[in-house]
Amino acid sequence: MKLIGLSTEQAPHISVPLRFFAVAPLFLVLAALILALDGGNPFAHSHTPALLAATHAITLGFVTMIMLGSLQQILPVVIGSSLPAPRLVAWFTLLPLIAGTLLLCGGFMLRKPELLDAAWPILGLAFAVFIGAALLSLARAATQNSSKTAILLAILALSGAVTLGMLLLRGYAAGLSLDYPMLAAAHVSLALGGWVLLLIVGVSYQVVPMFQLTPNYPKWLTVSLTPAIFALLLLNLALPLFGSTPRWLAFVAENLFWLCAIYFSATTLLLQKQRRRRIPDATLIFYRLGMSSLLGVAALAMAAPYAANPELVRILAGLLFLLGFAMSLIFGMLYKIVPFLVWFHLFRGGAKTGIPNMKEIIPEPWMWRHVWLHGCTLSAALLAPWWTIAAWIVMLCLLLQGLLLGYALFTGIAVYRRTLKHLETAAS
Amino acid sequence: MNTTAEIDVRGLAPPEPFEKIMYALQTLPAGSVLQVLIHREPFPLYDVLRDSGYAWNTRMLAEDNFMILISRTL
Repeated sequence: MKLIGLSTEQAPHISVPLRFFAVAPLFLVLAALILALDGGNPFAHSHTPALLAATHAITLGFVTMIMLGSLQQILPVVIGSSLPAPRLVAWFTLLPLIAGTLLLCGGFMLRKPELLDAAWPILGLAFAVFIGAALLSLARAATQNSSKTAILLAILALSGAVTLGMLLLRGYAAGLSLDYPMLAAAHVSLALGGWVLLLIVGVSYQVVPMFQLTPNYPKWLTVSLTPAIFALLLLNLALPLFGSTPRWLAFVAENLFWLCAIYFSATTLLLQKQRRRRIPDATLIFYRLGMSSLLGVAALAMAAPYAANPELVRILAGLLFLLGFAMSLIFGMLYKIVPFLVWFHLFRGGAKTGIPNMKEIIPEPWMWRHVWLHGCTLSAALLAPWWTIAAWIVMLCLLLQGLLLGYALFTGIAVYRRTLKHLETAAS
Repeated sequence: MNTTAEIDVRGLAPPEPFEKIMYALQTLPAGSVLQVLIHREPFPLYDVLRDSGYAWNTRMLAEDNFMILISRTL
């Protein structure tokens, strides 16, 4: 038997992650408005200003906003180590992330280099504060587990994505001569294939068995998968730097990366088939949709070089990754994590009775409505490059998703506040 | 320390392990120890145990299970 180190950490106050969760749905609404303002079909080409702006409203304002908020709660739960000065870190991350994302979206939409030039140092501040605090928390943690490795690798990938993003913005604003297509491709790879994928894999190792009551992921998978994904990501980024690389090597490196993604999603889907409680669950549907989408992304990415219109296939892969994989997983996790946080913090506050059941904190009918709405969004998005009406459906659905998620999260926050007030009144 | 109560919460969904452990502690006789078998290391539980005046000792078992011995310090 092995003696485990004792945790001396305190989880942060519930308001720390919740302030990130409360803001994030507004950026879905913003993304919808940006797409609507474009006038034409923003999905027809990969570099339309509206699509660039809306993509960053979602990746920074929604996906990263939720992931940074979640990490502040996940780190103490998974590795027993909180971020230092959590409230201070939260404010110095949240406010510049909001301001920087708004400037970035405005800069893309209005084609104003001065807005982009203002955005990069502000976003740099947000990420420098968070990444520094997260690395300190990881360094202090006595626990060693595969989720800790995955989180560390995800944060390293985020550092690379942010650095390249800042360079691209500064270069564009100042008219510098840079290899923009190569830098942009590396930025996207590190952001989506590194930061988003690695963090979701690492958190899934904990969340899937814990909340969906499945067997644990195989030990050798949890030990080897995220280092393999990270190494292949770096190899794929490094190969173009060597001009005379054989084509077969680039082919093998890229396809091995996608095979890792397929292996993760297929394993998760198989584990979910073995879950111990077979009760219908909206969060499980979100998770399955996410994993199936990742399979689709891998298939599209591997087929793209052979397609008649590779750019179109890559647009579809990008839409499927962002809306189908990343957003589905985030919804699935949020609808489990937020009720648990509310329950836990009420319990930890000393309440032994009067705490609502976890299922009552965010009513399940709202989660099911969200499943259907998200399914419509994704279906329409996959038709949008060809069909302008579908692009309008995506905009409407994104708007409604932002409002619905915001309502559901505020319902959970209201339950927390109401119950706390009731318990305090009863105690006095 | 003599273990006088045992509880197995492996395979239960959150927050059931938490609720069962806290209920078992409320009914634990003074001076005795609660042995908990659980399928993951419950860091959030430690915060509550510390706040409530309990000491604990965690050991990792096979297949990612954990055994926690909890006793009252106050």
